[in-house]
Amino acid sequence: MRSSTDRRGWADAARDTAHLVAFRARTVRRPAGTVIGAVVALALTAGFALGPALVNLSALDSPALDRALATLQGNLGGAFVGILLLAVSSSMGSGGGRELLSRSEAAIHPISPVTEHLGALLLAPLNLAWLVQTWGLLAVTALVTALERLPGAQLVVLAWVLAATAAGQALGWTAEGVRRTTHGVVVVRVVAGAVVLVVAGLHLAGALGPLVRALPTTWVAQTGQTSQWPVAVAVLLVIFLAAVALGARPAAWALGLPPREELRVQSGVHEARPAPEPRWGSPDRALLHRLDRGSVWRSVGMRRGLVVLGLGPGLVALVAGLEWSSVMLLPGLTASGAALLFGVNAWCLDGKGMVWRETLPVSARDVFDVRALVVAECTAAVSGATVVLALLRNGLPPLVVGASVLSCWAVVLVQVLAIVMTWSIRSPYSVDLSSPRATPAPHAAMAGYAGKLSLVTTLTGMFFTGLASLPWVWVPPLLALPFVAWSGWRLVRARRRWLAPAERARVVLTVAAV
Amino acid sequence: MTPTPAVVVRDLHVRFGDVEAVSGVDLVAASGRATALLGRNGAGKSTTMKVLAGVVPPTAGEVTVAGIDAASDALGVKRVVGYCPDVGGLVPRATPWEHLQLSARLRRMDHWEERGRDLLERFELGDVAHRVVGGFSHGMSRRLSVVLAALHEPAVLLLDEPFDGVDPLGVEATLEVVADARARGACVLLSTHLRDLALEACGDAVVLRGGNRVAAMDAADLTGEAYRALLD
Repeated sequence: MRSSTDRRGWADAARDTAHLVAFRARTVRRPAGTVIGAVVALALTAGFALGPALVNLSALDSPALDRALATLQGNLGGAFVGILLLAVSSSMGSGGGRELLSRSEAAIHPISPVTEHLGALLLAPLNLAWLVQTWGLLAVTALVTALERLPGAQLVVLAWVLAATAAGQALGWTAEGVRRTTHGVVVVRVVAGAVVLVVAGLHLAGALGPLVRALPTTWVAQTGQTSQWPVAVAVLLVIFLAAVALGARPAAWALGLPPREELRVQSGVHEARPAPEPRWGSPDRALLHRLDRGSVWRSVGMRRGLVVLGLGPGLVALVAGLEWSSVMLLPGLTASGAALLFGVNAWCLDGKGMVWRETLPVSARDVFDVRALVVAECTAAVSGATVVLALLRNGLPPLVVGASVLSCWAVVLVQVLAIVMTWSIRSPYSVDLSSPRATPAPHAAMAGYAGKLSLVTTLTGMFFTGLASLPWVWVPPLLALPFVAWSGWRLVRARRRWLAPAERARVVLTVAAV
Repeated sequence: MTPTPAVVVRDLHVRFGDVEAVSGVDLVAASGRATALLGRNGAGKSTTMKVLAGVVPPTAGEVTVAGIDAASDALGVKRVVGYCPDVGGLVPRATPWEHLQLSARLRRMDHWEERGRDLLERFELGDVAHRVVGGFSHGMSRRLSVVLAALHEPAVLLLDEPFDGVDPLGVEATLEVVADARARGACVLLSTHLRDLALEACGDAVVLRGGNRVAAMDAADLTGEAYRALLD
């Protein structure tokens, strides 16, 4: 017998989605902050869409700048492809897409797969990589488009972002459906690996650039800068609507299958290992460290997210041929992305076990230090992979550039760590991260976190990019010191707050939801 | 001879922001005895247990656990207490054996493995000792929480709703753990809504209402009518 949810139409699904959004909106802790965050995001979007066009670059009369602009213009179609790849990898990484209500909360409600699909589409923009890449595309388009053509070109960009997001969502649901079949996990891994190998092979053969330029995205990008832009917008909106409609089918298929990978991990067997006996440091810390690391790597969502973040931006840098000056922004962004997987609510790794953890006779200092170390490990590993892949692409940089990259990397790591450990203690949340669709904090908070982290790390990256053009190699490390000292002080302050018993109890009880 | 008090609580107050979860509880529990903490939802039982476990600091009042002041030495309290929290209490992506290993090592226990294995078998968790607990049923999680509380043979055993969702075999095993603890001279505090099981496990009973203690008596004297009257 078919259930009533199967017969629900799109109108019902849209209405249910609105109910869920309203429910989530009512549970926002700081409504005023959310409104301010949304206004800032919109203002930034407008700023990126219009700001670069207002700069009169021709007045600078720089051949190098002209060459850079010509390169950007030539690669605009490739940047459009990048948005699509991001949409696909994001939805694949998050098990089809984010959820408006967690699985356990949603279990008692008749929520149809179409509603889940629409919810995931609505939540897709609340993603650091999505925001950064969209802003980047808007900014590049503004830089290379004549002022009188700018509105049309930017509308094409927005229509493309919508179409790519919907198409990515549909592909993400499809991948999730395959993943949930017998041997599906292996199939998805093999296909993803093959795609990466093919792309790498094409790049090495020198065929990737021409192939990307031959894709229809180049037509979209070029048409946007002509009087024909309404045609492009119309085509893209049709694609968007078709992708939204078609995406519901793989969503229903995927959500109707048991989540094999999660179930396998949840019933995973890990044979007993002897207690660690470190050469230096305390055995207590080593044991806590092992437990915390296990909590990260035994989570499907976190493991998948760390791999995607570690390899994705680095491969883009490798394939797109990003120079060191552009690469400087990536470690901060990838470290922020890794922190957004769980670091922004670092104590949620323990879930309801937080109360039991707190009854263990171990000093609160050790608990804080180990948790901060695990967050730092993840951010360092992910951003380090990006730096290494950029090194493969560009070779060893000049000394001053190398010093700037390393200084920038160290600064953003400490910055991100200090910020997220402060948030973890100031605003803990009770969440269940067993599903890759779950987020470590409510969506509004996640959007704010993503915005703040990307802003801070991007500005830092831009600052060190500027330092890389100076002739003095000692300047970047010297100027990194005040950054590190400031963030170090913030980290110490967060630790001090954790050490206060009443504050710690508040965090523990909130995370464990008791 | 009067048994030595292992838990002494005088005029305990616990506030969470504007909410006063516990308002003036007095409680004395002796070594070698099991005391039932009874009361309706929100009576302050679980919060009192968390203070005794060193998880929540008292806002005001005096709390001594095995001679240790809970306000000034929470770490010391944690060393002597075994605590089964009312909800959850397990790290979702760790195995039972990893939970036991961590608990034992942090309490400097040598040769804990045999006792750990024995407890897991008694609670019928031996087969899943190396499986992550995220996939456990509610009853399995509760049973493992009792095992973790009992592993190090604590001087004070705090069991908060240990029978909640547990099958009869698990209930029996929990009652055995309580009896063992009493036999070796430990103080047991057991919080539950199930009066019959409380009476079976405990010799003393304390009833809380609205964050206050309203009665302390021999468990045998706590008839159904008397208990009902104390709750209203």
